[in-house]
Amino acid sequence: MDIILGVRLQDCTLVATSKAATRGISVLKANDDKTRILNTHNLLAYTGEAGDTVQFAEYIQANIQLYLMRENDTELSPKATALFVRNQLATSLRSRKPYQVNVLIGGYDTKTDVPALSWIDYLGTHVELPYAAHGYAAFYCSSLFDRHYRKDMDLEAGLDLLRMCVKELEMRMPIDFKGVYVKVVGKDGVRAIEL
Amino acid sequence: MSDPSSINGGCAVAMVGKDCIAIACDLRLGNQSLSLANNFEKVFPFGDKTFLGLTGLASDVLTLKEDFRLKHNLYKLREEREIEPETLANLVSSSLYERRFGPYFVGPIVAGLHSKTNKPFICGFDLIGCIDFAKDFIVSGTASDQLYGMCESLYEPDLEPEDLFETISQALLNAVDRDALSGWGAVVYIVTKDKVVKRVLRTRQD
Amino acid sequence: MSRRYDSRTTIFSPEGRLYQVEYAQEAIANAGTAIGILAADGVVLACEKKVTSKLLDKDGSAEKLYHINDQMMCAVAGMTADALILVNNARVTAQTHLKTYNEEIPCELLIKRLCDVKQGYTQHGGLRPFGVSFLYAGYDDRYQFQLYTSNPSGNYSGWKATAIGANNSAAQTLLKKDYASDMSLRGACELAIKVLSKTVDSSNLNSDKLEFATLSLGADGRVVRKIWSELDVDLLIKELGVLEKADEE
Repeated sequence: MDIILGVRLQDCTLVATSKAATRGISVLKANDDKTRILNTHNLLAYTGEAGDTVQFAEYIQANIQLYLMRENDTELSPKATALFVRNQLATSLRSRKPYQVNVLIGGYDTKTDVPALSWIDYLGTHVELPYAAHGYAAFYCSSLFDRHYRKDMDLEAGLDLLRMCVKELEMRMPIDFKGVYVKVVGKDGVRAIEL
Repeated sequence: MSDPSSINGGCAVAMVGKDCIAIACDLRLGNQSLSLANNFEKVFPFGDKTFLGLTGLASDVLTLKEDFRLKHNLYKLREEREIEPETLANLVSSSLYERRFGPYFVGPIVAGLHSKTNKPFICGFDLIGCIDFAKDFIVSGTASDQLYGMCESLYEPDLEPEDLFETISQALLNAVDRDALSGWGAVVYIVTKDKVVKRVLRTRQD
Repeated sequence: MSRRYDSRTTIFSPEGRLYQVEYAQEAIANAGTAIGILAADGVVLACEKKVTSKLLDKDGSAEKLYHINDQMMCAVAGMTADALILVNNARVTAQTHLKTYNEEIPCELLIKRLCDVKQGYTQHGGLRPFGVSFLYAGYDDRYQFQLYTSNPSGNYSGWKATAIGANNSAAQTLLKKDYASDMSLRGACELAIKVLSKTVDSSNLNSDKLEFATLSLGADGRVVRKIWSELDVDLLIKELGVLEKADEE
């Protein structure tokens, strides 16, 4: 029941992830960060099976870093990064024990100056979307996004939209998810921001 | 729920007209009941006058789209010519049968005109590559039952390109309105010997 | 000659040399010349055709020029049979990259991959090295137009203008003399023919002896790769009149 949300704004992408790490009926941790920075302009947020998530995220992180080193610090674009992640999940799906991880990738394409958001599930389904969520959060937030999203939103408007989502989730979700961490992926890279 | 070919939804249809063919698909991509995107095209061009439609599990649609692009590009380099629809059909068939005991959950359809003779060709496949040759129309996807109904009643042989466009569009649009997992817009390609017309259809967004 | 250290590719001679690799490079030095010139708006590859029998059945495709993917081509000097293996390898590598990242492979990365294969054959025992050098013409969004060469040892390098095969040092001297970095593609084609007319031992240069390919950008910003037809090559030679000019000098 982890929450991950993403919104693509005019000049950056926002990614919000719940702080609670839960196992069964217990909340084990209230400061869990469900994101990994892949390279300067790409952020991976994940939910799914407990052991798989971090393992998969860090495997992807390592491979993107490796590409960076091999290719004289040429970054993979958000599109290429998302395609690579999708391929890993699609390959894993037909292995003996598939990774059960759903991810969002928030990125910023420095070549074209366009922010990007990719939705990828454990099956390897990949779509680029203006706003996205995984799991139950999607049921509560999709309608809010549909109603209030504008593609020319600035950072403050985007944060307002996320505040609305978090308020709704706090009201509807059956357990306390301990709030969210919000990260901005923009021209200058990834930074954390208070909601 | 656990049926992989109806998790994401979506459908495609192809028809033969007089010296032309049409191939169309809807644009929905969903996660069970939750719609995610209304821009997920399921028909891909392979050369000038050959098209491949892929419905089913979206992950496999993407995988196969890329796999066939790879194979098509290598084919072009080796043969120094475009692939014929019949050849693509056999390529699709053998590629799918390679995964006989762990199949891709897709329902491909191929439609095109022969590069020299311009003879129309359409066919469909099951998920392990058995080819279904047809002279009239081919349907595929979560709305295939509805599409069969629409095509059986609307189709007539030797339609001119414009009439074929109207027929395939009405068949698709009215079929997807009776399927919760399909719709959210549609794309139609009309292929004649010297041009390809792509039309995007706006539909109800629910 | 010393036969003690050249029977296997994997063994260094006491002077620290790998004879088999050097022999492979020697074999290439006798193959038809191929030259490449980087222009401001494109790249040109030109080769000398060695097999020119009238009885040879032409299948329409070039003998020493190959497309690798939508934005790269290469010219071959050396054993064509060996080249075919590597070209196929390059094509598959390029397409695999396109499949995993949905982006065309950067030129240098592809060449690096290919050179890894070549290097492998200078080290792992029992196999001979590939007897081919390549000229690669490519375009990618990071470095725009590029020209590279690679040789049997697995080394590769980037150039503004260079030559491989027979008379390559003479050709390179000519290129060094006449190359200008702001050259247009047309100027580069002219220079290519001029250099070849001097390095190829043939009195009249025509499409029987030449193969030509250019890489440029189309109006829509996409890469245009063109292996020239015999007609186009003859037309260019005639239009430029480089041959007459060369004679006058």
